[in-house]
Amino acid sequence: MLNLNPQTLKRLRRFREIKRGYYSFLFLAGLLVVLSFGELLVNSRALLVHYEDTLYFPTYSDFRPGTDFGLDYDYEVNYRELQATFDEQGSDNWVLMPPVPYNPLENHAPGGVFKPTSPSIDTRHLLGTDTTSRDILARLFYGTRIALWFSIAFMLAVYAIGITIGCAMGYFGGMFDLIFQRFIEIWSNIPFLYMIIIVFSVIPQTFTIPAKIVILLTVMVLFSWTSMTYYMRTETYKEKSRDYIAAARVIGASNTRIIFRHILPNVLSTLVTFMPFTVVSAITAITALDFLGFGLPAPTPSLGELLKQGTATLRTAPWIVMSAFGTLVILLTIVTFIGEAVRESFDPKKFTTYR
Amino acid sequence: MRLYPTIIGLLTLLLLSACGGSPDDNQSAAFPAIDNTEEVKAYYAERPDFFTFKTIADLPQDLTWENGDHLPEIGSPDAKKGGTEYVRLQDYPRTLRTVGPDSNGSFRTFLLDNVSMPIAQRHPNEFEYFPGLAESWSVDWENKTVYVKIDPQAKWSDGNAITTDDFFFMFFINQSRYIVAPWYNNWYSTQYTNITKYDDRTFSISVPEAKPDMDSRVLGLSPKSAAFFNELGDDFVERYQWRFETTTAPYLLDDKNLKKGRSVTFTRDKNWWAKDKKHWRYRFNTDKIHLAVIRDTSKHFEAFKRGDIDQFSLSLAEYWYEKLPDTDPDVAAGYIQKTMFYNEHPRPTFGIWINTSKALLDNVDVRTGIQHAANWNLVLEKFFRGDYARMQTSSDGYGEFTHPTLLARVFDIDKAQEAFARAGFTKRGPDGVLEDAAGQRLSFTFSSGYEQYKDVLTILKEEALKAGLELRLEILDSTAGFKKVQEKKHDLHFVAFGVSLEMYPRFWETYHSVNAYDVAFLDDGSVNPDRKVKTQTNNLEVLALREMDKMIDQYRMSGDKQEMIDLSHRMTELHHEHASFVPGFVQPGYRVGYWRWVRYPEGFNYKHTRGATELFVHWIDKDIKEETLAAKKSGKQFEPALQTFDQFAAP
Repeated sequence: MLNLNPQTLKRLRRFREIKRGYYSFLFLAGLLVVLSFGELLVNSRALLVHYEDTLYFPTYSDFRPGTDFGLDYDYEVNYRELQATFDEQGSDNWVLMPPVPYNPLENHAPGGVFKPTSPSIDTRHLLGTDTTSRDILARLFYGTRIALWFSIAFMLAVYAIGITIGCAMGYFGGMFDLIFQRFIEIWSNIPFLYMIIIVFSVIPQTFTIPAKIVILLTVMVLFSWTSMTYYMRTETYKEKSRDYIAAARVIGASNTRIIFRHILPNVLSTLVTFMPFTVVSAITAITALDFLGFGLPAPTPSLGELLKQGTATLRTAPWIVMSAFGTLVILLTIVTFIGEAVRESFDPKKFTTYR
Repeated sequence: MRLYPTIIGLLTLLLLSACGGSPDDNQSAAFPAIDNTEEVKAYYAERPDFFTFKTIADLPQDLTWENGDHLPEIGSPDAKKGGTEYVRLQDYPRTLRTVGPDSNGSFRTFLLDNVSMPIAQRHPNEFEYFPGLAESWSVDWENKTVYVKIDPQAKWSDGNAITTDDFFFMFFINQSRYIVAPWYNNWYSTQYTNITKYDDRTFSISVPEAKPDMDSRVLGLSPKSAAFFNELGDDFVERYQWRFETTTAPYLLDDKNLKKGRSVTFTRDKNWWAKDKKHWRYRFNTDKIHLAVIRDTSKHFEAFKRGDIDQFSLSLAEYWYEKLPDTDPDVAAGYIQKTMFYNEHPRPTFGIWINTSKALLDNVDVRTGIQHAANWNLVLEKFFRGDYARMQTSSDGYGEFTHPTLLARVFDIDKAQEAFARAGFTKRGPDGVLEDAAGQRLSFTFSSGYEQYKDVLTILKEEALKAGLELRLEILDSTAGFKKVQEKKHDLHFVAFGVSLEMYPRFWETYHSVNAYDVAFLDDGSVNPDRKVKTQTNNLEVLALREMDKMIDQYRMSGDKQEMIDLSHRMTELHHEHASFVPGFVQPGYRVGYWRWVRYPEGFNYKHTRGATELFVHWIDKDIKEETLAAKKSGKQFEPALQTFDQFAAP
């Protein structure tokens, strides 16, 4: 895979030259890395606890009861309180908290009651809290992570199905092509939103949250792969009639070999240009579904759910809608920038070898 | 030739106006004609035990007639008639029928529940009955019969007199299968045993048991117009879908005021027969009630803030404290008034219903632990901001029938862990959840159909984990939630049963073993090993105790109030010991915000009301409305009106 041909290298160089897209790409890549290790940055568990000459790293470990640190309760330690206690005692013990010391599910009400509080550095709710006093930054952070992973998984799955079926249609042609085309025409006319509503009303509520997310993903993929097949089909048709394919066939290459070794690499440029836009539409779709209440199951942090809260509290808590909307705009803009740059650098008008 | 298009135009206009004529014409054209007079007569004749015809000479002579005349008037003599009240509808009504599929929605309160006239009505302060359709009535406790004389003035909205026949017909329609309403069929067939006609204005109705509130079973009845339901038949559901029923109520609905999907406007019947009747004259004051569909709650609130809607319920803390705080410009300027009213009413049973038929939950120690692991006080403090109170037993708010001293268990981690330890859960697992020797986790699903209370569940979950109890939340929509508990598939479920204004709590529905299992016990009294959980009942705890059954049976048969009170207390204690219900919270009253042109009687409202507009004692003052709107424009301010009426608050 890394054995790139000169043409691809040229495209990549061209991509790097488009500064806006390139920096957006770096930013997004960086963001994905940061989000992957999010537990170290946004978490109610401490990074490090130094207690009686022993160091503890609670982030990825089992829960620690309060008694481990000389507290009088045996449920999970509240590390923020522990930090305050240690500070008061003035001993050698100390706690190092992550920059945002909240997790996305806990209701932390600094004022004693559950209500939105405005952004504040004192309480370390840097973007404020939502209607049930959960930290907005933490929810945005994990909401973005889920949305991004979700849309990338969505893209990969859609492409896997779309490419396979599209290529097969183009390559085998004939009846196979004809039947699948009709099938796709029918299939793509089933309204996908209704299907999600129907499927979610049927699946047992006892399913766990990850299972529900996978089901949502599956349903979305099942109704989204069709558009990809059109491009793949035409591209494959086009490539199939070229001399090099005929040559390969004469040598005796198998269908699989021809499709995967010869056709696929040559139609990849079409695919790559679509990828970022598929991610954009997946993020939009999942946010819209959450907004309507049919998306990720509660209490999963999500952008759409925050937007929904924000529109209901426009007057009293404008910071909710602002941060959710801001995040969405930035995220979508960046992915779109990448998409534009990819499209431009893969533009066959500039690099085509066929005249 | 020039005439031709004109003629066609005229013809089209004529045709169009013909189509636009009264929808009733269309409806009767679409359905075959039915006249059920003979069928009804035959029905009565077939059931002489239920429908009895006598003469006025047969009326017992020694009856003591009462008419509730001594009860004080309702509403204020200052009330002005007139004006239009603007109200929000969450959804356009699916039907104008008051019975049958889709009819039991909140819209029906405007058609039936809050406006129609029963034989007599409970006084909202005194709990005694004042007359509605009746001129007087007489309760014969010994023979379990109530005698009624209809007010000679009483008229339907179509101008016909209300007669005994309409009460006969009420039983006919409610027992008939045409209405597709099994609950009504059952209720009107089993809760009443006889109706006897003495003359057109005099009849009696009998009930199977002489309960202390036997009179309410009869006096609360509202007749059905035999003339209006003359076409009752198999197509009832479609035929009557959009027909406004001939009613006893003061508010009428004209078809032209029915804007499908958008709004419904009721107009006051200015010639309503009861408009000068003592307990009715200061009620139903506004000339029109305009109900407009606003689906979204935040939009509803904005409409209220603009003055498009007159009143808004502020019972949720979010609205009372944040969205419409006392410092809100409209409140501070006195344009919008805020009122808190404490009522006295049986409380809906908000709490956690534990399914005792599930493994582990059949252990009383586990249940006791769950009781102590539920931090309701934190919920009250953080979510309800101290406005609500803890529920102590499952039958709070019934006066003497409520247990006077029993208190719900409080949140206590040590006690919870002690109880869990007794059940074998002693060790904490890697995530802090208790495990027993076999490695079984102390973990249950905790479901609810109340989206608006999902944060309550979240708080309880977080706090329960401190005691080593894991609750896996499951927030369903209300239909799915109710289905789940009706099928008894829940572990722990948070729900409340609505309760109506009754003298004493009901136990049979929720705690009798016949509602828990098919055959709960064998003949010798031991537990049936093969029993199957019974679904579609309100016994959500699947509670089956011989002792409870005995007391419930005795309670249901008893006509002695003191005995019933005693039984009620003992059953409440037994239920408490069984620990299968974690009492949640009670709402001590209701809160409303309203524009200053909405006026209420002095003292605001009545003790046994559940909502501010239930009795229609408020009125719209048009002069004040003009004054307020002008003041709002010019910036003139009034005295802010933030009131609390706690005359009926619990001590």
